[in-house]
Amino acid sequence: MNGDWAAQNLQTIRTLMERTALYRRALAPVMIAVGCIGLAAAILGWKLGIAQPDHFIGYWLAVAFIAAGAGFALVRRQAVQAGEPVWSPPARRVVQSALPALGAGLLLAVAVILEAPVKASQFPGLEDILAMKWLPQGWVILYGCAVHAAGFVLPRGMKLFGWAFVVAGSLLFLAGTPSLSPAGYGHALMGFFFGLLHQAYGVYLFLTEKKDPAA
Amino acid sequence: MNPEPFLNLDRVIHEKGRMAIMSLLAATPELSFTELKQALNMTDGNLTTHIKTLQQAGYVAITKSVQNNRPLTTCSLTTGGRTAFKGYVDLLEQIVRQTKPQI
Repeated sequence: MNGDWAAQNLQTIRTLMERTALYRRALAPVMIAVGCIGLAAAILGWKLGIAQPDHFIGYWLAVAFIAAGAGFALVRRQAVQAGEPVWSPPARRVVQSALPALGAGLLLAVAVILEAPVKASQFPGLEDILAMKWLPQGWVILYGCAVHAAGFVLPRGMKLFGWAFVVAGSLLFLAGTPSLSPAGYGHALMGFFFGLLHQAYGVYLFLTEKKDPAA
Repeated sequence: MNPEPFLNLDRVIHEKGRMAIMSLLAATPELSFTELKQALNMTDGNLTTHIKTLQQAGYVAITKSVQNNRPLTTCSLTTGGRTAFKGYVDLLEQIVRQTKPQI
């Protein structure tokens, strides 16, 4: 008996399962934790008066790494409790799809840190606008792109959440300059998008996510 | 060669279309009818027939609901379906091992 057909069937099954496999970790706690960190960081940044462009960027990059670390720790705990690998094929696809947009956000920040002081010598005040208004708005759009890309492997709704960031971030570029100081605007924007919106979506997921992720 | 694994293959799953449906549902908690149709490039009629067969065998559960004022049909594997699919995959692996040329 030739077993080629059996091997082919197995290969087909593997391919279909990998293509469809969803990332099954409960995202509600991750979103709520990220939201709490984002909101607390916005309040702290505003209270501490972090208003220098390079300080603002450095501060929020540090917050992003802390939030990513907290999210990873929560996901890891869930995987360990379920006796499943943390670095599963769907987890790899989530990271791979989100990474280009997140990497672009990091590079954009580096570019602003390096370029803004040079341009500021020609256009006074531009450095503040670039670092604390346009950069956060760019981050919102790129983060939305990352979430939307990862949404193809995540449960329904996540792509819509990404779209909301992309659309809102783009509209902010079209809106006029707010009356707030650049630093006040930057912290408020970061607190709203990466704090409040994440908390709200986390609560929504908490109420709607299936309790048994493997069910 | 022992023909037993081949004879024990579940005939309900051992059909190209139904095997594909079971594979997709085994990898995810649930999929809508439209998602299945798009993923497998099947016609409505073809997919409905296969899903009915799987439902009659007790392998697939169908849930009907309303989302955004539109009817939504979602399919998921039952516990029995998951067990049967695992058994089917185990048998395929056994057949591959048996027919592999001995070195």
